[in-house]
Amino acid sequence: MFKVLNKQILAKDVKRLDVKAPLIAARIAAGQFVMIVTREGGEWIPMMVAEAESLRGQITFIFQENNPAAVELGQLTIGEEIFSMVGPLGQPAKIAKTGVVVCLATGVGTARILPICKALKKAGNKVIGIMGAKTKNSLTLEPQMRIACSRLLITTEDGSYEQRGLASEMLKDILASEVVRQVYAAGSAEMMQAVCQMTKDKAISTLVQLQPVMACGMGFCGSCRVRVEGKVVLACVSGPLFDGHSVNFEHYKTRLAVNQAQKVNQDFQHEEDDMTRSITKFFPGLLGK
Amino acid sequence: MTDIKPTVHSAVKRIKSFQEISLGLAKKSMMEEGIRCPQCPQSPCNPGCPLGVDIPAFIRLLREGDAAGALAKIREANDLPAICGRVCMAPCEQACVFAEQKKSIGIRALERYASDHGRPRFALRKSIQRSGKKVAVIGSGPAGLTAAAQLAAAGLKVIVYEMMPHLGGMLRYGMPEFRLPKNVLDAEIEEIRLMGVEFKTNFSVGQSMKFAQFVGEGYSAVLLTVGQNSLSLVDLPGADLGGVYYSKEILLSANTRFVDQFKRNPVPVIADQVAVIGYGNAALDCARICLRLGREVTLIFPETAEDLKVYPDDVAFAQEEGLKFEALTKPLSILADNSAGNFAAGVQCVRMDFADTDGSGKWEIKPVPSSEFVVSAQTVILAGGFKTNAAALALGTNLKLQENGSVWIDPQTSLTSVPHLYAAGDVVAGASSIVAAMASGKKAAQSIIKAVR
Repeated sequence: MFKVLNKQILAKDVKRLDVKAPLIAARIAAGQFVMIVTREGGEWIPMMVAEAESLRGQITFIFQENNPAAVELGQLTIGEEIFSMVGPLGQPAKIAKTGVVVCLATGVGTARILPICKALKKAGNKVIGIMGAKTKNSLTLEPQMRIACSRLLITTEDGSYEQRGLASEMLKDILASEVVRQVYAAGSAEMMQAVCQMTKDKAISTLVQLQPVMACGMGFCGSCRVRVEGKVVLACVSGPLFDGHSVNFEHYKTRLAVNQAQKVNQDFQHEEDDMTRSITKFFPGLLGK
Repeated sequence: MTDIKPTVHSAVKRIKSFQEISLGLAKKSMMEEGIRCPQCPQSPCNPGCPLGVDIPAFIRLLREGDAAGALAKIREANDLPAICGRVCMAPCEQACVFAEQKKSIGIRALERYASDHGRPRFALRKSIQRSGKKVAVIGSGPAGLTAAAQLAAAGLKVIVYEMMPHLGGMLRYGMPEFRLPKNVLDAEIEEIRLMGVEFKTNFSVGQSMKFAQFVGEGYSAVLLTVGQNSLSLVDLPGADLGGVYYSKEILLSANTRFVDQFKRNPVPVIADQVAVIGYGNAALDCARICLRLGREVTLIFPETAEDLKVYPDDVAFAQEEGLKFEALTKPLSILADNSAGNFAAGVQCVRMDFADTDGSGKWEIKPVPSSEFVVSAQTVILAGGFKTNAAALALGTNLKLQENGSVWIDPQTSLTSVPHLYAAGDVVAGASSIVAAMASGKKAAQSIIKAVR
């Protein structure tokens, strides 16, 4: 059991939980994740650890409530306990001093890139952060990113905050003006693909953080298979950071779309099921026999 | 192959629930079966059991009406009798003198009878003299549990580390409720807990604690029984389509979720027509889980029905439950649907048959020309093999590995290339049976006892 020490609501549907987990906090490295199940019999979801404090023995999650399991996690209050947590899992990011590094994130990708930004800055790199969001309200973790990066650029699609445009367009300007050694990207598949196309011409090493659907996180179930260098590998064991130029994004997008389609269908069915049951309970005979 | 019939629920009733299908032997059939045992002086069944259970002796006690004595006799060699009585592959029955006539003594069913009826009404805490030495067991599967019980009985302090929230390893997460009920497993683990074994769950050792730390904390020996848990991917065209899953995803989901919840809303989504590709226990279990969800299931495998690597009773049960067997059928590819092309729609198969192509008298299984056909299925389950997970072995030591990736051990002492680090179970032998894993766990425990004392 892992106790929730603190909880904050950062934006609409975005929450931050501080959880007591001394063993995980002592060992976790940037780029690794843990698998979480909120209550017994629930769904296992992968969760990126945004911050880990080994002295206090606590880890921090920042997540968007975009699936039922995350909603359930977000409903926990201070003092309640998470049923189970397995980790740290995945391969840690290889952090070294290289020079100028661009960290690019859109949406909830920010929470996943934050520990990498911190580690890179600590190693002595000049970290340029680029954050993209739809509107000002959906922008999260701006203060944390400002501390973690040497320079932070923000774009919004509707122009409600800072610059108007896409994050990948901002990267183009940076690539023209600075000598970038490495690019980290986390977020939507389309953004990561656009970034990889941009950096491929200039031969800049690009690492993308993939987030396929994971059911176990230990290389056990095979739900998170992605195609890298023409080979199918499991993102939980050999990832989640991959060389962006060798990832097959079409395959990745198809797998995501398939899972999305199934999820929507399933949630709908579930709702319908609940509705039918409540109608038959309170108005017997209304829906026929 | 035995011809005894334990009491079972009817097929119509049992495909509606996840309850255990077999109720075990009635006392009368147990007596009849026990009396049938000729008590051979050479007892060929004894070497058949990797654990070395004294089979004729426990059958003799059973037919004399002493179930408690029979259970005590089994427990001398086997620490998980209720589990072995349900899901063991029963190599002893193949070694029986009646095996050739396909009328072996139902040793597995008798063992289950002893474990069901010989259990004392009150659990007793056993008083064992402790020597003060500590041993860590990593992983609580069949090998780990057996080793923990053996070590605790010898007076050592045993701490079992388990990554998942519940104990049992593959016995819990890789085996459906209707074959091995969770309460039976819990009772067996409770028995081991009463011997003084300490369990630590939610503790992934390789990542959060290194081998040096174990030595620093005063452990005299560490036993590695993490099993094989890294999937080896199946190389079949169309294996990445939507609706194509690996068997363990289904098994894990069915075992971690509550049963009624899983039945109402199975995750991952399982379509109306299901095809399962494979010939082991995992394939058959997945197929039977899908049958219990009311799906139409076909099992595709390239060998004959006799070559299925499962206990023969399970095949008969699955047949009663309405599983369609496509024996001697090789899957060629998984076909995509017509609309978007992202989901599976069927499995392209070819019939196989015995053929003597070069006239040399060697009959081999070969594809039949122009016999291709399609099994319609929107969900395809692949029951692939496993390999040793390198991440699970990240103990911070340079372990010597075998050619196939599993851990090398000294066959005499079960010691790995690192001093004080022992290994047993599937992590050494590759995918094997439960009873083989238990036997290797027992062997490793005995050599630890010898070394630590």
